[in-house]
Amino acid sequence: MSGTRTLLHLLSVATLLLWGGVMLFFHVTGRIMAYLPPDGIFRPMVLAAGIGLGVLALFNLLTMNAEDIGCEGHDHSHDDHDHDHGQAHKEGCCGHDHSHEPKHEHSHKEGGCGHDHSHDHDHSKCGHDHSHDHEHAHGCCDHDHSHEDHGHTHGILEESGWTGRLVALFILIVPLSLAAVLTPDRYSPSAVMNKGLYNPNYADTSRAEQFSLKNKTPTAPTAKRGEPAVTPTSLPPATIAAAPSTDSKAPPIPGTPPPPTKPGEPPNAANAPKPPVEAKSYGTFSLEDLKKQVPQNKEGHFLLEVPEIYYTGGDLEVQKVLTGQMVETTAQVLPEKVNNTDGHRMRIFRMLVQCCAADARPFSVPIDFGKKAPEFKDMTWVKVTGKISYKKEGDQTVPLLEVTKVEETTAPDNAMIY
Amino acid sequence: MTLAALPDPSATGDIFVAFLSIVFEGAPYILLGTLLSGMIDAFLPARLLERVLPKSRVISTFLAGFLGLVFPVCECAIVPVIRRLVQKGLPVSCAVTYMLSAPIVNPIVAISTLTAFKEFQNWSWDTPGNATMTIARLSLGYVVAVIVGLIFIRLKPSQILREKIAAQIDTANAAAETGHAAPKASFNGKLVHAMRTAMRDFLDTGMYFAIGVVITSVFNTRVDQAILDTIAQSDVLALPCIMGLAMVLSLCSTSDAFIAAPMASFSMAAKLAFLVFGPMMDIKLLFMYSGVFKRKVVLGFLIGLFVLIGGLAVPWMNLIQSLATK
Repeated sequence: MSGTRTLLHLLSVATLLLWGGVMLFFHVTGRIMAYLPPDGIFRPMVLAAGIGLGVLALFNLLTMNAEDIGCEGHDHSHDDHDHDHGQAHKEGCCGHDHSHEPKHEHSHKEGGCGHDHSHDHDHSKCGHDHSHDHEHAHGCCDHDHSHEDHGHTHGILEESGWTGRLVALFILIVPLSLAAVLTPDRYSPSAVMNKGLYNPNYADTSRAEQFSLKNKTPTAPTAKRGEPAVTPTSLPPATIAAAPSTDSKAPPIPGTPPPPTKPGEPPNAANAPKPPVEAKSYGTFSLEDLKKQVPQNKEGHFLLEVPEIYYTGGDLEVQKVLTGQMVETTAQVLPEKVNNTDGHRMRIFRMLVQCCAADARPFSVPIDFGKKAPEFKDMTWVKVTGKISYKKEGDQTVPLLEVTKVEETTAPDNAMIY
Repeated sequence: MTLAALPDPSATGDIFVAFLSIVFEGAPYILLGTLLSGMIDAFLPARLLERVLPKSRVISTFLAGFLGLVFPVCECAIVPVIRRLVQKGLPVSCAVTYMLSAPIVNPIVAISTLTAFKEFQNWSWDTPGNATMTIARLSLGYVVAVIVGLIFIRLKPSQILREKIAAQIDTANAAAETGHAAPKASFNGKLVHAMRTAMRDFLDTGMYFAIGVVITSVFNTRVDQAILDTIAQSDVLALPCIMGLAMVLSLCSTSDAFIAAPMASFSMAAKLAFLVFGPMMDIKLLFMYSGVFKRKVVLGFLIGLFVLIGGLAVPWMNLIQSLATK
């Protein structure tokens, strides 16, 4: 094995070990939790890939001197052939295997692109595409030139010139190493703002289900109604909708399916076609439901996460129950920049991740102090207690916390919500 | 969690966080793809594909659009696999169709789209049309992939692929013509070969991936996404804009539906364009494709897919919605 090829092989192995090592390191130290969600396949995949890359690298390291297939039975010490392969091609009978990198290596280095291979393939572009020069079947050789052994690429490291190799290695090694060493594991305020801190959409329904206060224990609301939960299809929808609405003062629920007996009635017909009905189709929602589903602290304040408060902005029923209730939440704080001319407000947010930290989006609600807001360092974790109210601002209903108490706190274990 | 030892958040720190998270998300699938690629190279008999596939390239291209249902892979894994399959004699039209469709027409993506768009609740065997977005996405993805594949049907591999890759097909063909039998390589020899190929492929693909991820991470964290929301209000700009976003975000096709669903300012058709264009073309793919295809072909993919999906998204969404209301 030639020196260059050995070096490249070792560099390849080292690069794999670096990639695998970074993945294993972040998984083993638990820092992966700042990047990928705990459930789902992504975190186990990182562990598997870290091990897999290590195994692949070590396998290639240990078999470095093993023969590649199709090369068996041939003489591999061809370094001396590098200079006369042109002749060999002309003669047609090469008598040795051309699929080996060492030769390509050397020919590239020494011959550059200047020599004529006298093939009818297009070699006009110099520099990078010579690897195949040697792979043509010669027809008359008495050994096998079949695809199995010649069909493989030699990869970017083997077939490039030294400049190309260095660039490739640079790209493979430097960004990953820098990122692994220098990552703060969390975003700066400007990234949070760029990701849409000040552009909340409280009527959003995309993950409303996950954070809906009605949805914590799906059996609870139906249990009140008894049997419909077991055989929902056996009863007309009107029964389900009507029964609870009598025991709460809530006005008719928008999105409730119209009674089948009076399908043409105008008010119901207007409500019926609205698509996001299923988000509100759990029936009514009462303070008892809220107490059943949301934990409370000693003072009786509901412990809610910011995304839960956020999504109430799109749910009139929950708003009716929650308005005026005391709530406690832990979140990060940044200055408020909308509807804050008097400087009474700040904005608290949690980062919500779908699949990886790159798609993290801040879910935020404004908090109002009723007086000049206190100074907090950007991104400080705070525990906020306050009364929930809903304000019509712009074209949406904004959930707002009227703060009664705010204190600095430590970051929770999972800084991101998944 | 002890943050004490970590550097303070900063502009570059943001890029590193985004970079690492995308690498953690994507690299395992690249490894999977390259291991598969290595195995294909070493163990798949060269002419098997020719024998198995229908003689008609049109039919086989149509079939190739469904391959993702059998081998569900996301777009990171497909690139190394495709390159190897082409070398093993898969016609380029089939290869291109498989490459474009597999990240969309596959069960994992169907489930994630159903979940993200809350279409599970409405869906039943009686009313399958309620899963509008999922149906629209998978069907449009299939149609676009087949159209692009058919465009390539008359072209030779050497016109489409990078020279080094096309040349290996020539080699394989030449060898096949001369009637040489495959060597009786030992299993160990093949395994060594497979692993070496996998290593090279990982480094090749990983390099293009890394370039794409760096660029994406910069956009992802340093550019104010709110700019997009204002553009989204415009009917004319919404489609190109959301496809541009798909390009820049370089999301994995298994998870992009979760990002698209909350974009309230965009129409369903615009989201459809996002969900079909993104898995076929984005910044990381642009670089990964250019490791396999000629530069002008990659450029053709970029422009062609942009125009094709941009043009089809609105009528397609209307069509599916009209079918669904029946």
